[in-house]
Amino acid sequence: MATRYHPTTAGRGRRFVRFGALTASLALIVASAACGGAGPNGAVSGGEKPIRIGALYPTTGSLALLGEESWRGTAIAVKLRNAAGGINGRKIEVVRANVPDVNAAVAEARRLTSKEGLDFAIGTYSSSLALAASEVFARGGGTYVELGAISAEFNNRGYKSVWRTNPTATSFAEQEVSFISKYVAGALGKDVSKLKVVVVHEDSAYGSSVARSVQEKAAAAGITNVSYAPYSATSTDLSSVVLGLRSSKPDVVIAVSYASDAILLARQMKENGVVVPAFIGTGGGHTLAGFGEALGADANYVFDVDFTQYAVNKTATPGLDEFVAAYKKEYGGSPLSGHSLANFMGAQTVFDILEKTGGDTSAKAFGAAAASFKVKEGTTPTGWGVNFDKTGQNTAASAYVMQWRDGVLETVWPESVATMKPVLAK
Amino acid sequence: MQIFIQTLMAGVLLGGVYALVSVGLNLIFGVVRIINFAHGELVMVAMYMTFWMWQLWGFDPYVSFFIVAPVMFLVGLALQRFIIQPIQGSSSAMKIFVTIGVSIVLQNLALYLWGGQYRSVTTSYTTSVLTVGGVNISVPRLIAFAGGLLLVGLLFFFMQRTLTGKVLRSIAEDRDTARLLGIPVSRFYMFATGLSAVLAGVAGVLLTPFSSAFPLYGAQITLIAFIVVVIGGMGNMVGALVGGILLGAIQTLTGTYIAPGLQQVVLFALFIVVVLVRPQGLFGAGVGTEEVGLK
Amino acid sequence: MKRYQIVIAAAVVVVLALLPIVVTDQYLLNNAILVVMFIGLTVAWNIAAFGGALSLGHAAFFGLGSYTSALLLLRFDINPWIGMIGGVFVAGLGGLLLCIPLLRLRGPFFTLASLAFVEVLRLLSIYARGLTGGSEGLTVPSRPGWLWMSFLGREPYYYIVLVMSVVTVAISAAIYYSWIGYQLRASGSDDEAVNALGVRSSRLKVFSLVVSAAMTGAFGAFAAQYYFIIDPDTNFSYVLYALQPALNGIVGGMGTVLGPIIGAVLMTPLGEYLRDAFTAEQGLSYIIYGVVLIVVVMVMPGGLMSAIRTGTDRLGRGGRRRAAAAVSKELEPTREEVKP
Repeated sequence: MATRYHPTTAGRGRRFVRFGALTASLALIVASAACGGAGPNGAVSGGEKPIRIGALYPTTGSLALLGEESWRGTAIAVKLRNAAGGINGRKIEVVRANVPDVNAAVAEARRLTSKEGLDFAIGTYSSSLALAASEVFARGGGTYVELGAISAEFNNRGYKSVWRTNPTATSFAEQEVSFISKYVAGALGKDVSKLKVVVVHEDSAYGSSVARSVQEKAAAAGITNVSYAPYSATSTDLSSVVLGLRSSKPDVVIAVSYASDAILLARQMKENGVVVPAFIGTGGGHTLAGFGEALGADANYVFDVDFTQYAVNKTATPGLDEFVAAYKKEYGGSPLSGHSLANFMGAQTVFDILEKTGGDTSAKAFGAAAASFKVKEGTTPTGWGVNFDKTGQNTAASAYVMQWRDGVLETVWPESVATMKPVLAK
Repeated sequence: MQIFIQTLMAGVLLGGVYALVSVGLNLIFGVVRIINFAHGELVMVAMYMTFWMWQLWGFDPYVSFFIVAPVMFLVGLALQRFIIQPIQGSSSAMKIFVTIGVSIVLQNLALYLWGGQYRSVTTSYTTSVLTVGGVNISVPRLIAFAGGLLLVGLLFFFMQRTLTGKVLRSIAEDRDTARLLGIPVSRFYMFATGLSAVLAGVAGVLLTPFSSAFPLYGAQITLIAFIVVVIGGMGNMVGALVGGILLGAIQTLTGTYIAPGLQQVVLFALFIVVVLVRPQGLFGAGVGTEEVGLK
Repeated sequence: MKRYQIVIAAAVVVVLALLPIVVTDQYLLNNAILVVMFIGLTVAWNIAAFGGALSLGHAAFFGLGSYTSALLLLRFDINPWIGMIGGVFVAGLGGLLLCIPLLRLRGPFFTLASLAFVEVLRLLSIYARGLTGGSEGLTVPSRPGWLWMSFLGREPYYYIVLVMSVVTVAISAAIYYSWIGYQLRASGSDDEAVNALGVRSSRLKVFSLVVSAAMTGAFGAFAAQYYFIIDPDTNFSYVLYALQPALNGIVGGMGTVLGPIIGAVLMTPLGEYLRDAFTAEQGLSYIIYGVVLIVVVMVMPGGLMSAIRTGTDRLGRGGRRRAAAAVSKELEPTREEVKP
């Protein structure tokens, strides 16, 4: 016969307390459901009803650095546009959400759509966050415009109300491959098929997606000798990768790195005397001001394919100087990377399209206006044009090839935006 | 063959970094019996201090040691006195959680104060190399390695030969008896934690010339430090040194001969294997091994 | 369990089940789903804690559940309900694997081993791109309908996770109040004595860890459907699914049935609120969160449940009450003696 084993619960006092605890926790569940989440934290001005759009960026966690930088571009665009009278006289009100990870992206997107009642949002810098947040908006019939993430998958899901103003990883890869075939091959005096290319990339979503795009584009361009060396971005030591490069002696290295691994890789290459004629970084760590600062003269001749940066042919990027001035005024220093500029241009584009819809943020109105919205290249602060294709991708945006020269990331290719001619490393 | 030696050399130097970071952890675990999850954050804080002193006042990183060390000692004292001591009697689970709380606070404090940028120090010797027999040895890493050796040696000497060290060891062995003998155990605990923080600080200083400081640096390095300590044998200073070097070598060799993407997996896998097969560590029988205990 | 406790529990469940009728806002429902899911995760984690296993690697089981379910769906077109069973099974296997260190190591060292376990799985899922999609992860397609556990509204998800959590709590209570629970609590105090009495405490500990892992895997499979995007950094996330349930359990009070529930109910909305309220200041919300954690552990190491118990002891009058309380305390998991 089994006796019941349980702690004695003698005394009505104890029973009462347990009941109380249960009720209290029940009440808490209901209450927490009712008040989880703060109110909107955008400025609300008086007068006409403001145009409310959501802005989702990772400002904490591992993506904080460039998430914050991306947000700044949007913030300045909002500020300048509101100062100039807003859209059709109505102020733009941005409802911000911090999305440090995918779960937060889904949760915040849901908050913005239901609690805040938004049907329009922009963001996000990181591809996985962009995918998550835009799914929520798109499935609910809202609109999502991406201003900075590059994963190709974003526009390939069949959603009609998902747009992107910036170039994709595919475009980056295209530009790199094009640069290799059109410039590097000639400068080295080798046929394209004889070039040895190694893709050194960190293994997170960013590095992997670029590597995949390179794989496709290189094959199409006739570059057949391509190998891949993935590594973990958090490595304290990349000597295995560097030694691999030393023994294989490639003509071209395409690198996809974050901040500290870009520096680490460059330093360890120098320590081991590894020189690659064309070392092409792909955004990320190779674009950051910190890279140039940390490496000094050793950064010279490193190429970098990325969004528009700040040492560029200004006749092709009207408005860039004004943006930089506004950034300095607002944040007390120079922009950390081209992400803010890209988001600035994207946000401005969004506002221009909303101008055409008369401030109507519904998917139908925005979709119709965006489809017919065309801007020539060389007329925006990034130099990109605007021409959305059927999947919502801006096909008139492309990455440029920069090169570190004497501590400045100069634009060297294509010629229309270049400040200098490219040079191979010796 | 050349590649093998170069890889091995890189691994040994990397292992020196690991050993350097884990020395302080070993001390605090051996004496105070706390698994300090915030140890990596202490290293991170020291790295930031070193960086700012270089950035703002032009101090060479190695020189900043003289300021970083005392500051870290005070930090360790405060940590022990105000946070760990009040819960010294609770279960080890609670102590772990409190240090996790401290690590969360420190990580985000760094993010809040200084942002997420990677802060690098560049000096004249940042990329200097010594080339010996065709093998390239990075100078800052060599200095860090030598620093690690020196630290372990000094600590060993301290624990074996000085009175304070002997008292610490006696407390580690049998705290209650030590108390009965009238030894002010809490004061010595404060000293031990302070010293552990200084060791973390030294690690930070020596790492800065070739590593970037950023808020989440501690998170990466803490777990590896624990692995080194357990593999080398908790409480065993020399064991941790050798263990660290071994881990570094295995990591780089894996990277070169198997796959760079598996470098870290192999560390954790090794940890699990050692913990199953020989939980007292490779050089076990250091103080505190009965806690690991085979059941 | 006394009759009145079952009645109260049933009443609570009924109220929770009626929640979506009152609350129709999708965002609030999302919050409710999150809270209920974390109640389930925390209670499941706590089952392992019954057996003295303080794991900081439960995210491993969560991720195993997510990936199993998603892969079965994407590769073999198997619906997520069966996928969840698969997830439970694989996660349970993972739990079994972790039992090897469990039985050989004492407390903190097992915790470290569990941390290493989840890291290995995370790194491997990044590396094995062909299988898991690497860092970019997997996306579960939207196929509305009960068969595919995919819905446009939040309500069905809420009911599913509510049922799952209720089942988890029921299992936890069943273990707690059964002879298994009694033995586990006893061996928490004095393992050797219990073994001397002929109880194979190790089998019980294995049992609780495996059950705990399996249930966590179930929630992982649910999350694969609810969040529809899974990737190594999220689904094997130490912070989200390993640390968080443990924190909730500590705050609420480990080793009881009610403690984890209270902990989850308090900490989950707190985390969401802090993140929203301090969007502008990078990191400030987590500083506050960390401080809260430190304060709770220092002031109430036994969690809120023990604080409540201490409170009632003080309120109670008379020796009989104190005696009853003293007996009750003996049967609770005691604070570990600090060994020299």
